[in-house]
Formats: sequence, structure tokens, C-alpha cells
Amino acid sequence: MTDLLRVENIHTFIGQFHILEGVSLSVPAGSITALLGRNGAGKTTTLRSIIGLLSPRAGRIMLDGREIQGRPAYDIAALGIGYVPEHRAVFRDLTVEENLKIAERRKGDLDRRSDLIFDLFPDLKRFIRLPGGQLSGGQQQMLSIARVLVADNRLLLIDEPSEGLAPVIVENIIEALRRLSDHTTVLLVEQNFRMAAQLADRYYILDDGQSVQSGQMAELARDGALVAKYLGAG
Amino acid sequence: MFDVFRRNRPLLVAVLLVALIVFWMSNRYEPKVTANILLSGLTLGALYFLVAAGLSLIFGLMDVLNFAHGLMFMLGAYFGYTVYANPRIILNTLPLMLALGGGAMAGAAPASWVWARLGAAQNKRGALIVVWLLAGALTLAGIWRFDLQSLAANAATVAGGAIATGQAQEAAGALAARLGLLSGAGLALGLALRSREFGPGRSMARNAALGIGLVVLAFAIVPARISGEAFILGLSNNLRFVLALAVGALGGAAIGALTEVGLIRPLYSRPIYQVLLTLGLVYVGTEFIKGVWGPVGYYMDIPDYFNTRGGDCPSPNLLLWFRDHCGSIDVLGRPFPSYRLFIIFLGVAVFIAVAALLRYTRLGMIIRAGVQDREMVQALGINVQWVFTLVFALGTGLAALGGVAAAPFIGVNPGIGQDFLLQSFISVVIGGMGSYPGAAIGTLLVGLARAFGDQLVLSGVQFPGMETAVKLSPSIARASTVLIMAVVLLLRPAGLFGKKE
Repeated sequence: MTDLLRVENIHTFIGQFHILEGVSLSVPAGSITALLGRNGAGKTTTLRSIIGLLSPRAGRIMLDGREIQGRPAYDIAALGIGYVPEHRAVFRDLTVEENLKIAERRKGDLDRRSDLIFDLFPDLKRFIRLPGGQLSGGQQQMLSIARVLVADNRLLLIDEPSEGLAPVIVENIIEALRRLSDHTTVLLVEQNFRMAAQLADRYYILDDGQSVQSGQMAELARDGALVAKYLGAG
Repeated sequence: MFDVFRRNRPLLVAVLLVALIVFWMSNRYEPKVTANILLSGLTLGALYFLVAAGLSLIFGLMDVLNFAHGLMFMLGAYFGYTVYANPRIILNTLPLMLALGGGAMAGAAPASWVWARLGAAQNKRGALIVVWLLAGALTLAGIWRFDLQSLAANAATVAGGAIATGQAQEAAGALAARLGLLSGAGLALGLALRSREFGPGRSMARNAALGIGLVVLAFAIVPARISGEAFILGLSNNLRFVLALAVGALGGAAIGALTEVGLIRPLYSRPIYQVLLTLGLVYVGTEFIKGVWGPVGYYMDIPDYFNTRGGDCPSPNLLLWFRDHCGSIDVLGRPFPSYRLFIIFLGVAVFIAVAALLRYTRLGMIIRAGVQDREMVQALGINVQWVFTLVFALGTGLAALGGVAAAPFIGVNPGIGQDFLLQSFISVVIGGMGSYPGAAIGTLLVGLARAFGDQLVLSGVQFPGMETAVKLSPSIARASTVLIMAVVLLLRPAGLFGKKE
């Protein structure tokens, strides 16, 4: 498998705080790769550095062999990266339909993808005219994921999709992500270790802004000591 | 049913406030006086709205408190007045600006290509210094001893007709030489700026073509100056007024766009500096206006379309007004100037047009989304930077449009910007920062309060048990809007419709 995304030893600052002190990872095309670690380990900062909302001061980020670090976020996103941020970030005053339409990069993107999207998330079709802010938390999460499916994205960066959701809804989202992985490549940040273990092929563990461990997800799931050391009680 | 009330609570509060003011007035005054005050209030409200709409959108989308917005209102009034009464000054200065701007666009297009071929960093630094010096020197040479003062001899302008100072214009050859120097300066400037926006593959050819087109246009204006001036001054004053509206609004939008790109954009990460910058712009701009147009004020004639006298005037109703175009219309037995009705109409039309833009277009969708979360809009692959520039231009253009519309009503002088800015700020705070309907409701309230306050000052206040009415100082009328703001903020800290604080 070739690597769709390679992150090489990036250092990112927020203000004067040195948050990422050398993070490296690679995401093979067609896989789900999980990014694990405690709160504050730098997982979200890593995703934001990749999409360009933060600019790494050192290191390289390559998409399909092209360096993308330092470019503005809209430029990087247009190369085919979809970002699903934590806390969902749907546009509350825009209707569900507008929330999807705004993600179009070419006219008619939504029409081309609507079958896939509404097949994955039938709820969205029912509430198509409702403002995003009136959806439930789970529905907002679905909308936030659906939004990055509208345009042709090669890589999805998904941050904590299970956060604050009821177990039944988490199951729905897991199912949707699993079906998605047939079409695209995913880099998944997830606190919920069970969820990550069910979905991901490979994993990276971040600790204190550094990548400390990586490997096959199936092996990590069997290694209780490692899980306890870096992720707390699994 | 009950749910509707709960969801529209801010709207209800606003309606209640308006009803309260109207009820109070109708108890105290005859209907014809009440109607007059209401219409005056709506007129003021419409003008405030034209300023406040942009103020609110700009703050909502990019968190910029644009103190220079009143300046844009004022510049619009001056631009409009100039086209209306003394187009010579525009016809002689516009080519200079077009040459510089067009040259810069043409120079910026190949900039990254040129710099990439210069090789070593030392070469680049040296070349950069040379290019900057060249740009500065050419600009200076281009505007050396340009006689703006006699071009701007507005005092010599005879109302509605010829300009007395016949020799003020430079000969075509001299002006063309200036244009040559300035387009060269523009080219150097474009190279020196090394803007990423115009990089290769990014519609480079189109930008270069557009820039060259602007330079050509600049040269084309030179021989057409005298006939152009005669043509504009020969138009009826209705058409000149329409031209003034268009030029004022476009000029305001262009200046707004330049301000955003050149001054505001580098400071998005330092909001305090932005506030200082826009405050400073007010002083610079006001002095600039005094320098070009002088410290005294001008009056723009009310267009004939709204200013017929005699005959059947004042028109007894709106239908007959469309036949006679009287200067005023009878409202419940008291004449009301019809030009002010036009201002109200303009305010309502702009409100509807911008609301439609926000609601039904992709740009509007991006603006609404950007007000809530501009980072997420970027992450979806949308270049928010250009949307910022567009919204800034739109907002300042509307303020400038308001300035032109206000010119025949309140006149043109270097002080009009500040009062309008203050009242518009108050309206925006009442309506809620960043909320478009909030800006409309806020300006409506402030306009009515001002008109009502003015009436109170005129007639005095007589509480029960008092022998004579107490005369109030005119400042009370202005203070009344601050009072409303204080009450609204006590009840709803984010303003009536606000979500940001």
C-alpha cells in the first residue's frame, strides 16, 4: 500500500506554546488509521496542522508526495481533504441542505453524492429544511461527516466523532464510518478506545506532542499494558 | 402558538418598543404631527441603516470594528457631490489612480515567476530594495506638482453649470506623461508586493489582462476630459444625481476593498491594532477631505424629480405625486418632503436586496456560515479572504451610497461622518452585533428615538402638575438613543438579535 499522507517530524506552536514536538505518521491509501493518546497529547493539533488551520514551524506534510505544509487551509482542503472537527461545528443558522451545499467545490456535487449521503444518514433527508442548530447531537455529528462527503475528498480527518453521544448513536456512526472506508481514507482521532479498535487498521499513539508508538490495531487491542500506559484504563 | 412567541422574543421586544414610542406620541400630538415625526424617524433610520448594515456584517464576519465606516459615508457624499457639481476633479484624478492600480495588477501577475528566477537570497534582497525604490521614485515623479487645489475650486462652481476656472486642467501631454510614470510605478509595486494571491496558475493571465485594461482605460480618459465634463454637466440634475449615487457607491466600495486588502488584512491576528488603524484612518481621511475640498460644507441640490413647486403642489397623495413630482406630499394635512420618502424607499430597497443576497445566493450562504465559524468555512476549501474583501467593499459601498443620498438632505461637510457612525454603532449594538435583521431593527428604533427626541426638545416636556413646559437641551435627543441602548443591554447583553457578545 502506498501512503496517501505522510507527516514527517512536525513542530507546531500555538502562540508561544510548543504543542507538537515532532509528530510523524503515515496513512496508507484506503485504510482507517487511528490517532490515539490522552487529553492534551496533541491529537487535535495534529489534525489542524494537516488541514492548515495551524502552520507547523518545522517538518513536512506530504499529500500524495506533494508538500502541503504552510499553505492556507482553503488551498489544502481543495486538494481533497475533508475535516470533521471536534464538537461537530455545523453551521447552526444554515439549514441541513445549506450545510451540505456549502461544501460543494463544483456545481452539482451534492446531487452527485446525495444517494450515498442519504443512504448513510437517512435522518438528514428527513430534516433537510431544518436549521443545523436544531438537530440533536448525533444528527449534527452525522451532518458534519456528511458535509465532507459532498466534495471529492481523498482523505478525511475525523476528530472525536463519538464525543458526548449516546452508545446507540455511536454504533450508528461506527457503522457509517465502516461503510465509508470502502470509498476513502480516514485519519481518525478517538478517545473511545473500543470504537477505535473496531474501526481502525493501524494506530499511532501521541504523548506530550510526540508520536511514541505505532502498529497494527489488532496487536494493540491485545496489549493491555501499552493501552494502560498511554491511554489510561482501556 | 406559544412557541412562535418564544422563538421571536427579540422581534416582539422591538415591536413593543416601537409601539410604546408611537403610542406615547399619538397621545401627546395630533395625528399629522405624529405621522410627520414617524416619517422623519424612518428617514433617519434608513440613513443609519445604510451605514449600520455594513458595520454589522463586517463585524459579524471578520470581527473588525470599523471605525472608519463613518469616513466611508462621508467620502461617498463627497464623491457623489463632486461628480454632481465638479466632475473635472474626478476626470483628472481617476486616470492617475487607474494607472497605478492597473500597473500594480499587471506587475503582480508575473511577480512570483520573476522572483523564482532570481536565484540566491542576496540577489532577491537587493532586487527587492531596487524595485521598492523604483516604485517610490516613479510615484513621486508621477504626482510631482500636480495641481489638485485649482481643480478642486468648488467655490468657483456655478450651481448647475459651468466651472469658472477654465485653465485648471493640465495639458493632455503632461497628464499622459504622469500616467506613463504611474503605470511604471504600479508595475514595480506589483512586483515588490510578491502577493501569493496572484501566483502562477491562479488566473495569472486574466489578472495581467485586467491590469493592462485599466491602464488603457486611464489613457483613454485623458483626451475625453473636456467633452466628458461638458457631457456630465449638461445632463439633467436627475441623471447627475443617479450618476452621483453610482459613482459614490462604487468609489466607496473600491476604497473599502483597498483598505481591507492593504491595511486590515495584515492585522487579522492583532485585533487591537485594527481598532487603532481604523480610528487613525478617520483622522487621516477627514484631513484629506479638508485638504481637497476645504473645511466648508456644500449643499447638493435636491433632484428636480423630487423638487417641483407651484401648480398642484404639495401633492395630496402618492399617486398624484408620481404625476407632479412635487417637493412635498401632504401627509394627514401636513406637507412632508418627498425627497425624504425617497431616502426611506432607498433604505427599504437596500434592506431587501441585501437580505435576498444573504438568503438566496452562494455568497450569502458563505457569509452567513462565516459569521458563525469562519475557520470551518476555510476548512471546507473556501477562500474566506476574498469573501472578507467582498463584504468589506459591500459594506463601505452601502455606507457611501447612504452618504450620497444624505447629501441633498443634510449637506456635505467634514463632520457628517462622526454623528452617523456613532448613531449607527448604537443601532448595531441595540440590534445585536453581527445580526443583519438586528441592524435593521436597531436603526429603526434609533431613527424613531432621534425624531421623537427632536420633537420633545422643540415642544418641551410638561409633566402633570407643571405650569409650563420645561425646555430641554438638544443633547437630550442624542442621549435618548444611548438610553435605549443601555436598557436593551441590561435586558439582553448581546443585543436584541445578537449571538456574539
